[in-house]
Amino acid sequence: MSGTLRQVGIDIQESEENRALIDAIKQDNPDLTVRHLPGLVKVQSSGQIVINRETVESHLGREWETGEFQLAIVSYAGNFSEWDDDQIIVKWEH
Amino acid sequence: MAVKALYDYDFPSADRAENFGDDQLVFVQWKGNPFFCSAAAFRAPKAMPFGEFVAAMVVPWAGSDPEFDLAAVHDWRLFGEPLTPADGVALTELGIGHKALISFSA
Amino acid sequence: MSIDKPEARVRPKKLPLKQRYSLLTRDLDWEPNYVTREQLYPHTSYEGIVVHDWDGWEDPFRLTVDAYHKYQAEKDKRLYAVLDGFAQSQGHLTLSDASYLNAIKLFIQGVTPLEYAAHRHFAYLARHLEGPAPRFAALCQSVDELRHAQTQIHTISNYNKYYGGFHSWSKMHDRVWYLSVPKSLFDDAMTAGPFEFLISISFSFEYLLTNLLFVPFMSGASFNGDMPTMSFGFSAQSDESRHMTLGLEAIKFLLEQDEANVPIIQGWIDKWFWRAYRMSALVAAMMDYMLPKPVMSWREAFELYFEEQMLGGLFPDLEFYGITPPKHVNDAIAEKDKLSHETYKILHNFSFAAAFTTQTPQQEHMAWLSEQYPDTFDRFYRPTWEKHLDIEAGGGRAFFQGLPQLCQVCQIPMGFSEPDDPATPSLRTSTFRDEVFHTCSNGCQWIFEREPEKYVQAWLPVHQIYQGNCGGPTVPDVLAWYGIQEGDNGEYKGSLDQQSWAEWHPTSTKEA
Repeated sequence: MSGTLRQVGIDIQESEENRALIDAIKQDNPDLTVRHLPGLVKVQSSGQIVINRETVESHLGREWETGEFQLAIVSYAGNFSEWDDDQIIVKWEH
Repeated sequence: MAVKALYDYDFPSADRAENFGDDQLVFVQWKGNPFFCSAAAFRAPKAMPFGEFVAAMVVPWAGSDPEFDLAAVHDWRLFGEPLTPADGVALTELGIGHKALISFSA
Repeated sequence: MSIDKPEARVRPKKLPLKQRYSLLTRDLDWEPNYVTREQLYPHTSYEGIVVHDWDGWEDPFRLTVDAYHKYQAEKDKRLYAVLDGFAQSQGHLTLSDASYLNAIKLFIQGVTPLEYAAHRHFAYLARHLEGPAPRFAALCQSVDELRHAQTQIHTISNYNKYYGGFHSWSKMHDRVWYLSVPKSLFDDAMTAGPFEFLISISFSFEYLLTNLLFVPFMSGASFNGDMPTMSFGFSAQSDESRHMTLGLEAIKFLLEQDEANVPIIQGWIDKWFWRAYRMSALVAAMMDYMLPKPVMSWREAFELYFEEQMLGGLFPDLEFYGITPPKHVNDAIAEKDKLSHETYKILHNFSFAAAFTTQTPQQEHMAWLSEQYPDTFDRFYRPTWEKHLDIEAGGGRAFFQGLPQLCQVCQIPMGFSEPDDPATPSLRTSTFRDEVFHTCSNGCQWIFEREPEKYVQAWLPVHQIYQGNCGGPTVPDVLAWYGIQEGDNGEYKGSLDQQSWAEWHPTSTKEA
């Protein structure tokens, strides 16, 4: 396995609700970079991006299902290596 | 490679010669002139004399370029090989068959 | 009432997502004892693809039907709220210019019918794939694509009230010359087997080239004040991430199942990259020539979305399985400074027979093109546009006075140049069963010679006109058969669209 990790990325729709989602992702992924483009927010990190339901709920102030992430996503670079009730993980396999 | 299929895959060509009867398709390219985005496609009788084909079909098309000059037309080719034009000779007798590509410079 | 922290509330007990998903999708599958497996799934062997274990298919989104329709309904609600607002407020007034709408005419005529075709074919896959996981993913995609077709129609129908070219998109898709380009691509995919379809559409179209095909239209909409199209784009994009996942999973699953699949899949990647890339020539022309406010050049989009993200990101990943980049990819790279110019020249020269209008780029636009294409524009393409401008200054407008030679495979008029030489037209000839066939490029010729029995059957618009199958021998006969009405076609300047625009924006006229 090489020492340098490839960048994993998710493009998220720019919206009121997604601000909380992005804040939660920032909290759980310290190396995250965030870029704002017209209508969307590109988040990137090396290796993997983790989305934790509990962190999102604490920012959003209501219950949140990981399935709701379907409404926010525009595009992604990487693989969804995990998606269950509590967590979503995007990373590269090879 | 044959088309993979669940049955015998054998169908006629949509543009085979018999679909055009006594006529055929001929493509004409004005070499080196980017004013025309592509070669033109014509349907013409197989027995049409070459000179008539040029006058009736090629000239009206080529003439939409304001710089077209019939007297300057030269170096006729058939599939890239030199073609000696003969006004009175039928297309097919000159070797210009169905879906042939001929070109000229001007 | 105080706002409880979510953790403090008692949650009703639910099965974990993985288990729920499994019970409601894969576990509903059964082994037939009333027919053989081959009788139940008659289409999954003839392509030569071998699958040992369908349970190996991964579906990361784990949607169940109830979750699916809940989220999709929410997306529709949000989009239709935008469309209602747009309709109520004369939203078309925010457009940069009426000429922008020619890009959207191309979209509804060329792309929307493909969404519908995808809907139909994914429904077929939802029946004929042997594994329950890909069947369910295909079922969701089938409903997604129908939603895309419907939402595109609703979104774009607003423009039909005031502008030409939108009214008969479905009929035109089946009949009109430039629309046979997308139509024949999808017909080619739909008449192939289920596995080839997965590689052609799910992988090549929905993953490899999706950003090149989709983002230019949506960002073009954003930059040119087209809010409904942009909103549609965002609404569809979240479905697209599932489609991309299906495409990537399809290729990895098949490559992992058996080594014998690798060369078959490589052949399909080689074919379908080129077919979809050739179709994207229409997008290139749109990006560089049809947007009053351009977003980026085709060259820039191709470098970012294909060379960097795909050749630089995806294909190194696929190398693990023994897959190499598509066969004619270097020709595509060599064309990036030429493709849009050569394609728009075709559309410009033939828009008298199209359901959109075109115009010669003016000096300001040519300055941008010159800046974006320093190696080619001024030397190879500007002189011809200047010649068109001269003709127009004299009161004329040059259209191609005749019909073009078409490529047997991509069906585009043969207006492309050799990959390394913009001054030399690219022409290839093949013979099959003693008949001559012309193609536009190494890629299309390779595709033809690989399956000639298929491509000799192509319904080529020019040849069909000459066989008398398109309404009659004259141009007016053919345009009537196409469904083209006054105001749809020809030159933009002086068109009904431009007049309508002037009426809606009265302060911008009065320059006699």
